Parts: sequence; C-alpha cells; structure tokens
Amino acid sequence: MLKKTTYALLFCLIILSSFTNIQTLKSTAPLTLLTKDTLFQAGSDVVLKFSGSELNNLTLYCSNSYGSILVKPSFESNTIQFKIPAYLSNKTGVITWKLLNEPNSLTGQIKIFPKHEVKKIETYIGPPSIQAGNRDFSMIVVIPSDPLDNPVSDSTKVDIKYQFLDSEVVEPVFTKNLIAYKNIYSQRKTGRYLVSTECLGINSKEFDVNITPSNPTNFSITYNRHHVYADGNQITTFSTSIIKDEFNNIVSDGTFVEFFIKTKQNTVLKTSGNTVDGIATAKIIHPDHEAQWEVKAYINGMSESNTLSLNYKQVIKDYTVAFSKNNRAITVGPLQSFMNQMIPDGLQVEILIYKNDSLINSEIKTSNQGFVSFVLIKDKYPDDIYELKIIAAGIEKSFKNIKLW
Amino acid sequence: MVSVSKNILRGVLVASYIGIIILIIFGVSAIFSYLNTGADRSKMLHTEIKKIDQYLPKVIWTPINNEGRPMDNQTLNSLENDYLDAWYVMHISYLTNTTKGIEDYYTESARENLFNIVNSNKLDNIHVDGTTLEHHLTLDFFSEDGQLIVLTDKEVTEYKAVYKNNKLILETTEISNYKIVLLLEDGFWRIRHLVKEKSEEFKEPIHSVDVANLNIKGINYYPQATPWDMFGNNFDIDIITKDFKLIAQTGLSSIRVFVPYEGFGKAQVKPEKLEKLKQVLDTAEANDLKVIITLFDFYGDYSVLDWTLNQRYAETIVSQFKNHNAILAWDIKNEPNLDFESREETKVTSWLKHMIQLVKSVDQNHAVTIGWSDAESASILKDDVDFVSFHYYKNINDLENIYQNIKKEIPLKPVVITEFGMSSYSGLWNFFRGSEQDQAEYHHTIQDIFAKNNIPFMSWTLYDFSEIPKEVVGRLPWRKKIQEHYGFLNLNGEAKPSFKYIFKQ
Repeated sequence: MLKKTTYALLFCLIILSSFTNIQTLKSTAPLTLLTKDTLFQAGSDVVLKFSGSELNNLTLYCSNSYGSILVKPSFESNTIQFKIPAYLSNKTGVITWKLLNEPNSLTGQIKIFPKHEVKKIETYIGPPSIQAGNRDFSMIVVIPSDPLDNPVSDSTKVDIKYQFLDSEVVEPVFTKNLIAYKNIYSQRKTGRYLVSTECLGINSKEFDVNITPSNPTNFSITYNRHHVYADGNQITTFSTSIIKDEFNNIVSDGTFVEFFIKTKQNTVLKTSGNTVDGIATAKIIHPDHEAQWEVKAYINGMSESNTLSLNYKQVIKDYTVAFSKNNRAITVGPLQSFMNQMIPDGLQVEILIYKNDSLINSEIKTSNQGFVSFVLIKDKYPDDIYELKIIAAGIEKSFKNIKLW
Repeated sequence: MVSVSKNILRGVLVASYIGIIILIIFGVSAIFSYLNTGADRSKMLHTEIKKIDQYLPKVIWTPINNEGRPMDNQTLNSLENDYLDAWYVMHISYLTNTTKGIEDYYTESARENLFNIVNSNKLDNIHVDGTTLEHHLTLDFFSEDGQLIVLTDKEVTEYKAVYKNNKLILETTEISNYKIVLLLEDGFWRIRHLVKEKSEEFKEPIHSVDVANLNIKGINYYPQATPWDMFGNNFDIDIITKDFKLIAQTGLSSIRVFVPYEGFGKAQVKPEKLEKLKQVLDTAEANDLKVIITLFDFYGDYSVLDWTLNQRYAETIVSQFKNHNAILAWDIKNEPNLDFESREETKVTSWLKHMIQLVKSVDQNHAVTIGWSDAESASILKDDVDFVSFHYYKNINDLENIYQNIKKEIPLKPVVITEFGMSSYSGLWNFFRGSEQDQAEYHHTIQDIFAKNNIPFMSWTLYDFSEIPKEVVGRLPWRKKIQEHYGFLNLNGEAKPSFKYIFKQ
C-alpha cells in the first residue's frame, strides 16, 4: 500500500518537475540570433539560426523584392533554424525578416547580392537605322544577368564592341541602375555597324545598325528627247545627276523626285521618278502644239535642282476641214508632221458645236492614218444652223452658219 | 341578311389579313434590329473606355531629369498606369493566391518569382492582404528606342496583413526603396526586374494635437427636411443659416455634421459637394460655431485594397478645409464598431488607424477622434486619437459611473460624449411609453450630470424627422418611428419641452 502511494507520489513529482522544467525553459531562454552574416550571394543557402530549444509554434515572416512568406523552423544541433527558401534567397535585394510569436519579436535584414558571373546578356538596340554624319545615334542597352536572373551589381564592366569598315572598337561601360548603355554615333559614310557586348567573359550575339545616307543636297537635271517637234507622240525623258548627301553618300534608292513643268500659259505639269543609284528618271509625252517648258525637280522639303528650259516646235502648220453628207460628215486632215509625213495615230482633235452662241456639245477623237472624221447624227443635231469649231495641234478653226439638213 | 353577314366575313378577313401583315412586319423588323445590335461599328473593337478607380496610391514624381531619351507626358502617364496596375495585380495575386493578370504586367522571367511565392503560400494556406499607399518615383533612364525604362521608387509605404489559415498572423507597414526595369511589350510596360534596395518598418509618427481648450458643448446637426442627406439636391443654405443662428442662441458652441463617402464621390470628390461643405463651414464661422466633420459616413467596406481610394477622399476633404476657422476636429467614422462583426474587428481597426495617420499627416492642427457607438468601445485606439468620443443611449443612471471608469482608463485625453438623446415618441410601437415630458426630464438630468462631471457633450439632435432612410436604422418601423422623435424641435420647428434643457448655462 505504502509502496503504491510512494510510487504514485514519485510519478506525480516526475510529471510535475517536467512541467516546471518546460516552464523555466520557456521563460529563461529568450531567443537570440546566432547567424551573424547579413550578406549572402544569390543561390547560397540562407539559414537563420537562433539559440533556443523550443520550436513552440515559431514562425518567421520573410519579405523580399517580390513578396512575403512565412517560414517554419526546424531544430538542429541545439539551434532553431529557419531556412529561407531558394526562390527568395535566389533573388537580389533586401530580405527583411521578423520572428513571430514572441512578445518582443526579433527583426532583421539580410542582403542578397548577385553572383559574379553572367549567364545571359539581354541586349536592346535601337533605332536600327541611323543617318550618316556624326549627329544621329543608336543606343545599345545591356542588362547582364547572373544564372539566377538577377541583374549584376552596379559598376560591373560591360564591353561594347562595334565594327565599321576597317575600324573595330571596344569601349567599356559600367552598369548603373541595373543596366549599362552606350550611344553609338553614326559615321560620315553609309554602311553597317556590327555590334556585340561582353560582360564577365560572356558574349552577346551580333546586332547590326545601318547607317543610311543623310538628306539629299541640291542636284542638276538634264533631258533627252528624239526630236524637238511637238508631235504629241514622242517621249521626253528627264534625269537627275547622281544625288548625294552632304557627305558624298549616294542617297537611298527609292528617293522620290518630283519634276514640275511650267508651261507658257502658267499651267503646271508634273512627272516623277524614284532614284536608283542616285539617279531618278521621269518621262513625259511631247506636247501636240508649240510649247516652252521650264522644268525644275524637287525632293520634297529637302533639295531642288536647277531650272531647265526647252522648246517644242509646232509640227502641223495647217489642216483642211471638209464637209460632206449634208454637212453632217466632217473630215479633218490630212494632218501632216514636220516632214509632211502623216502624223502618227493618236493626235487629239476636238470639235465644239455651238447653236445660238451657246455650246451644246463637244467631242474628242484621235487621229487615224492622219485623218479624223466626225459624224453629226440627226437625232442629236436636228436640222438647223450651227457654228462649229475644230481644234487640233493648237490650231483652231471656226465655221459659222453651217447648215445641217 | 346574307349580304350583311358576307360583308362582316369580308371585313373580318381583311382585318385579320392586315393584322397578320402588321405582325409579320413587326416580327421581321424586330429580328432585323436584333441582328443589327451587335454590329455597331463603334462597339466592335471595344474601344470605349471602361476605366474605374480601383487603386490610387499617392504618387509623387521627382522632376523628370532622366538619362537617355527625353520623356513625354503620354508615355509617362501610361508608364505610371501600368506600373501601379502591376502593384495592384500583385496585391490581388497574394490576396487570392491566383495569378490572373500577372502576365500582363510582368515579363516572362519576372513573373516566375511571383508564381513561386503564390504557389508556396497557397500550399501553406497563407495569404497576404496588402496595399501600397505612397510611391515616390524617379525616372532614371529611358532608352532611345522608347522600349526600356529604369525607375527608382523610394519610400514605398507598403501595408501588409499576413494571414495563415485565415487567421491574422502579422500586420506590418514597411517603407522600402525599389529599383525597377520595365520593358514595353505588347503595349504594356512590364516589370522585368524588381529589386528592393532598402526596407524598414514604418514607425508611425506620434503627432498629438493640443486639446486642452476643447470645451465641447454642442449638438449633432441635420436639416429638418433632409436628414442624412445634408449635401444632396435639396441643400438650402438659408435653412442651415437659420438653424445655426438658433443653435448659437441656445448657447451651444459646436455642431457635428456628417460627410457621406459615396455621396461626395468617393476617391473623386465632387467639387460641388466641397462647395456646399464650404458654405456650411462659412455659415458656422459666421455664427461662432465650431464644427466636427464626420468623414466616411455610410462607408462600410474597409478592405485593404480600398485604402488608396479612401485616403484620396480623406486627403481631398481634409486638405481643403484644414485651415478653415470653423473646424474643431475630424471624426474619422461614425460608430465603426458596429461593423466589427461583419467586417472583422482587426480589419476595421487597422483601417481606422491608417485613416487617423493619414488625416494627421495632412492636418497637424486639428484633433482627430472616432465616434464609437458605445462606452465599451471607447478605449479602442485610445493612443491614436487626440480625444476619445463615444455615444451614449443607455440608462442615464449608469452614465456617471461609466464615464468615470473611462476617465480612469484614459486619464490624459478628453472624453467627449458626441451623441446622446432620447426619443419622445409615444405610440403603438413602444406601447405609448415615452413622452415629450420624459424627454425633457432626461435632458434635464443628463445636463446636470454633464455639469457636475464636466463632461463635454453633443446631443442628438435638433429636429424631429419625418423620414428616416433605411440605411440608418433599417426598415423596421419601431426603430424608424423612435428615431424620428429625438429632436428638441418638433416637425413644425416648435420647441418641445426638452428644448429648455438643450444646454445648461
């Protein structure tokens, strides 16, 4: 009996003492941080160790650049350990932490710095084409990142390498604000820059920037024609000299040149062409009557040419107009050119029909074998007296009181 | 006979023919117009702007002086929009542990970092209810081709409430500096790198206002015809002027008015409402009345992502009137403790705490309080307010004790009873108990208690009202009826017996 009670007592005591033990532990062992390091390289294991033996529902709040998490502890070799998960400790920047479930919660910070190696060089270059002449430039922006996709530390050297004609240049720049950049200015000559970058032994791929010619300068124009006659049939071709920019580069193919032709009557005719190898050509058909042209070419808003003048000689001196079939059939011709040959088909002849001094109709026909014939049909022109006017090759002939019946 | 019935038959046939034709035409035209509705060219491309304010933290740009290409306003605006949206979708992401919208604002490699955290939090059943309240942006670099931007965001005020298994584990406000690289992709400025360079816990600045001279003897005011809608369409400054004169004549020196959150336009406070409030304050000043403005009336969301909108509203109103002579104090919210149950106490108190800080950051000269609905709540956030205020509608005999107990708990700050009163309603809904005499007796007694204990007070209210909006006490008629009769003046503006005790000289 006695034995039983002593055992029971002893048992109670043991239990009690274990309780007191826990309580003393709780109250007498405030947690202290054992990890002294606050700087870690990205990718290394970051473990925060605290003195203490009781996990006691402890949680560590952790926050890095991208977000916040809670970490559970583990108990190893007499310390409480919090392992910061890799997806946090892999990213550079500040990680703030706070130990929760403690009256005076411990807080702290660690800093993750990037690895001193480069896995990827992101390169952005633009604009991809620039104008010759040392004024325009293209910018190359480089974001070197370490194997864990962190931008490298500030002041890391990045070599910008570029080649143009026979020059090859390597220029170092240093990262700042997570990036490195350099402006590459154009040369006086057109051509192509080949650009690449290197950071910590890793090279980027090749990029190119085209140097296009600068603005065209003034140029001269010439013309070319088979004869001087205004036969309304042959073609006059205008062409420019080789158009160059101020640095003697031939302007880009396809530069649009407009030719403005001012006639004696102050009307403006226009033709245009695009340059090939710096020369633009444009064509225009000869006038069908005597003309004096002043020609000037422009590259809109940039440059202009000299003024050319050229004359076209009248070829048709005169023509006859014959009436037949009750004056309803009118034959114009023969229309003869400068050597008295029949004018090539297609010369324009216009007839204007007036009645009581008012225009009632007009018709245009083109010549065929040197003649043009008009038929004034009865349905359109009832029997009456009309005035007719014929215009061909700038020569106007009037016939009053023509009676149609 | 035959011909007549034939005619009738003809008539019916013709009429029904016409009727059927009308129906067919109507039907065809209905189908035709239905088929045409979707084809409106202006709607085909969804070009209409559907922007709503959902996230408006305070953004302060340092003067633009960046390296690289000169910045233009349009790009700067779209950058600011996209950058703030990036924060907004991140908050949503961590709140819900989903990743919707992230791909629009983070580049492919950057979003991985968010996804990792979301996945781990989802597994551990953790969510973070956070927001950012302030950003100080500097444009460091803009690339020549207009595709890359580097920003520094300094002193980002980030509030976070961390929940585990839906239990609040930690509330923290951090001030951090970030460096950000953004790329223009698919028309969005997307975050490529985000690096937190510095971070520390926000220590709230303790800035208390001297309230030694706070001798409040006042009344809660609504115009008789427009209770709970003082600044609505029927706003009439002449009536208010008349009422203020009357209040001033009784010897009272202050009033408490209510500014509704939605009615004033939420984050985009309407200028015409501010103008009305200004007229009220000017009138009060002309009559030597001081005004306690109760902000956020009829507001009840408190969600963390709403804070930026709330602070824009409070900032607009407080900064507008902080130098007005009529201002006595800012009451952040009327009876917020009534929302504890439906909106979680921690959420409501965090919200209140933040709004107090915000109002104090804008106006350092006027006191801030919260109008608790009962004495039990009076000590909540006692360290944050400049004076404590609560409402008392319970047994008048316990008041002295209750007040003394609160004073004992909060010895250093004034404790004001900003609402008290008794309905004179006598009718079916309270079995004809209560009368205007009882009301007068109540005010007589309570004024004695106030005088004896030197209690600052504001009574409820000047007028009886004929219509109580359902948002105030609900739809139950016994509540509405009683609420209608708290006035010192009846519906006709005549003094009830209690009017004699509106103030004890």
